[in-house]
Amino acid sequence: MNEQTLSRRFFLKVSGAFVALAAVPSTVHAFYQDVKSFLVPPKETLPTTLTINKQPYKVTADTRSTLLDLLREELQLTGTKKGCDHGQCGACTVHVDGQRVLSCLTLTAMLPGKTVTTIEGLADGEKLHPMQQAFIECDGFQCGYCTPGQIMSAVACVNEGHTKSVAEIKEFMSGNLCRCGAYNGIVEAIQKVAK
Amino acid sequence: MEFFDNELSTLMPAEGRVEAIAKVTGKGKYAAEYTVPGVCYAVLVTSSIPAGTIKAIQVDKAKRATGVIDILYHQNKPVVPGFADETKIRESRVGLPVFYTDKIYFKGQPIALVVAESLEEATYAASLITADYTAEVFNVDFVKTHPSIPLKAAGKERGTVDEWSNAIHIVEAEYTIKEEVHNPMEMHATIAEWVGDNKVKLYEKTQGVNSVQRVISGLFSIPRENVEVISEFVGGGFGSGLRVWSNTLMAVMASLQVKRPVKLMLTRPQMFSLVGYRPESWQKIKLGADSSGKFSGMIHQAKHTTSVFENFNENITRIARLVYDFKNLKTESAIVPLNLGTPTWMRGPGDCTGDFAIESAIDELSYKLNEDPIALRLKNIALKNDPESGKPWSTHFIDECLEQGATKINWKNRKQTPGQVTEGDWQIGYGMAIGMWTSGRTQASASIVLDKSGTIIVRTAMTDIGTGTGTAMQNLAHESLGMPKNKIKVELGNSNLPPAPSQGGSTGLASLGGAVMDAATLLKQKLATYAAAINAQYKDAAAADILLSENGISYKQANAQFISYADLWKKVDEPTIEAEATSAPGEERQQFAFCSSAAHFCIVRVHSKTGKVKVDRMVCVADGGKIINEKPAANQVSGAAVGGIGMALMEEQQADVKFGSLLGNDLAGYHFAVNADAPIIEVSFIDKPDPNINQMGSKGLGEVGIIGCAAAIANAIYNATGKRLRNLPITPDKVLLG
Ligand code: FES
Ligand code: FES
Repeated sequence: MNEQTLSRRFFLKVSGAFVALAAVPSTVHAFYQDVKSFLVPPKETLPTTLTINKQPYKVTADTRSTLLDLLREELQLTGTKKGCDHGQCGACTVHVDGQRVLSCLTLTAMLPGKTVTTIEGLADGEKLHPMQQAFIECDGFQCGYCTPGQIMSAVACVNEGHTKSVAEIKEFMSGNLCRCGAYNGIVEAIQKVAK
Repeated sequence: MEFFDNELSTLMPAEGRVEAIAKVTGKGKYAAEYTVPGVCYAVLVTSSIPAGTIKAIQVDKAKRATGVIDILYHQNKPVVPGFADETKIRESRVGLPVFYTDKIYFKGQPIALVVAESLEEATYAASLITADYTAEVFNVDFVKTHPSIPLKAAGKERGTVDEWSNAIHIVEAEYTIKEEVHNPMEMHATIAEWVGDNKVKLYEKTQGVNSVQRVISGLFSIPRENVEVISEFVGGGFGSGLRVWSNTLMAVMASLQVKRPVKLMLTRPQMFSLVGYRPESWQKIKLGADSSGKFSGMIHQAKHTTSVFENFNENITRIARLVYDFKNLKTESAIVPLNLGTPTWMRGPGDCTGDFAIESAIDELSYKLNEDPIALRLKNIALKNDPESGKPWSTHFIDECLEQGATKINWKNRKQTPGQVTEGDWQIGYGMAIGMWTSGRTQASASIVLDKSGTIIVRTAMTDIGTGTGTAMQNLAHESLGMPKNKIKVELGNSNLPPAPSQGGSTGLASLGGAVMDAATLLKQKLATYAAAINAQYKDAAAADILLSENGISYKQANAQFISYADLWKKVDEPTIEAEATSAPGEERQQFAFCSSAAHFCIVRVHSKTGKVKVDRMVCVADGGKIINEKPAANQVSGAAVGGIGMALMEEQQADVKFGSLLGNDLAGYHFAVNADAPIIEVSFIDKPDPNINQMGSKGLGEVGIIGCAAAIANAIYNATGKRLRNLPITPDKVLLG
């Protein structure tokens, strides 16, 4: 027996049957454990339609795929960065329907009909978004790895109106870690755009 | 070859970095981001015990998962000639002979690697792999173990201890610092692709492409030029990218095994155990002074962790020999092997740790003497000569750093008695400390290429890990050639380019800059030779008198004629004119000693009920010789100071002594400073060129930004509260119990 012969339907039937038999004697239960340990659920995909950077996309993604991995590994939109894959660093920040969202904590399967903007979609053609321009002028980065996430958050931070003081900007930008410590320039860039 | 993306654009503001547009638009490619046709994905399985031997690995189930191509482990791996036997493994000096041992040295050690068609498939299959082990006794307890490890002399003793054993003022104390982890935001990653069986191409996260090239060619027994390493954008390093770690080797092995390009990116938890860290340390200082505040002697003892399979010594007591003029000085150290990964250099390695203890002790002494800590330091700093070699410092402006910093932070408002200033529940205090680093320089090469259209490309293999190397190259080429900046492109981070050392230890620009300037001179000489065939006046032109513009070259001599590139190329056969130069330290190193330094000042507030510490202001004044690009340089120092805040107040890795696991193995469990943890850091420079170090007069800056920060903060906490806290990080519990 190998995984090809074990269809999903077979798996559901078998596991369903065993759920029904949950109360049966322990030898049967042990047998169930044996079968279960042999079964390896196959990969499943799900077609999803969404908009990314104003372009319509029809993707058939692995149901386990995050938006972050979809962007980076399938669509070659590598501007969105992976810094932790756990929702702890902000490097993967994108906008979904205008709100800042962590793409590593968003499954592709959750996005039908949604509108996603990534760092690649922020500029207006050749013309940089004012926040991108401000990050350059204020040197709001060093290695640049956290930068796309910082910029996406910064744009949202201004839209949300959390820019009344240095302290407020710092507070609302603290979900975006920068190990280079380029926080001076990041704050300065946001102040510049918020004016 | 793909080029460092620095699209020349009129949109680019003059002061921006050369690669700025690539970084703010997401176009710059970091190691894992190159599109490589046919690439497959590798995911690691790591050991679940901290010491022992692998009995068996169960891979059958994983093999049946969708998309799995192969699984590498100690019984299924390609031939690596450099791991052929025990001796070769030792000689390779790569540390962990991954898959060439069944021994487990630490928890989280790689035991298998799943290669599959997609990342999701590889990740799932990796979760299905299990292993049986013969477990052995392990030890991850530094605090319990270090007392039993004897100290050994670290360097020659100066004078004797007897000479000052009855000094009038003595400070004697112990200091500890918990392990810290580099955690660059980009996780270590490699795409490895074999082309035939003796050529390999690597897109690699590293701080030095030539060192990766050397290690891989050695291990796999292939000519060095057959290993191409590309690292055009590097998402930080701080030292973790100075070594070739097991992840790179595994990617290269996997690609060899499955005969396809393989991408391996570590996960954040794996970043805590596989790519080094600043080791946990213990120090003891005994510092003596006479009644006038002159230091009479010091004993500095230090111990730190290492792994059980490699000896790593970061020389914590080195800084004791560097800063102050100790006639009597005894330094001792020891390393303590534990079942953890091997530590490595992390920003300001050794000195950062040693400096915390020494600068804390001096602060303590200043209160005993009732003397201002700046005045006390000025009395004892070795300002003229390097106290170790006796050679004169080429330049050393720490006194000016202290003076400027004190003015900027309004040091005169500081109270000499601690605990005097409060604001509601907050206690407020001032602190300062200094940091130093020897300014190194190594051999580096660069080339400059001019094409018919009047575009310049400056090339080197050196990486730019965020320090602004590329921008400095552009600035230097602009200054020495006269060519407008928007006509100067940069190519870097590729082993096919002129060789350069790894970027680390604050030596990058100091080493490379000279090569760029020499290449510029050579290029101008070449151009003058071609020009002489058109206009004889150019025959005797000195390189310094030749200027390049977008359209052609000119000679600064009276009524010498401008020659366009179009005319010039009538005399040139090749499509480009190229000059390459190598520069290295020389004679000057015999005559002088070189150092960079910084003075750090801060104001902190400490909450008397919660123990929370907030850094209100942080002022850093640095002497890094001539500053080539002010903004990136200031950025680097302020970033290092943010690192210093993390070191002082929050960064701490601990190992669970019962199970050998790391407690902080993600960014929620291990904290470094976020935006709100740091004030706007105020940075300034002395900006005086060092006439002897290199053509530009630039000394390094990367390390002095952090060395001294932690002590300045701890000293400020004492000034605020009267609590002397000697164990980093100073978390709220320590403040409350202190
Ligand atoms: S990668 Fe998504 S938060 Fe870190
Ligand atoms: S610029 Fe390097 S992590 Fe932010």
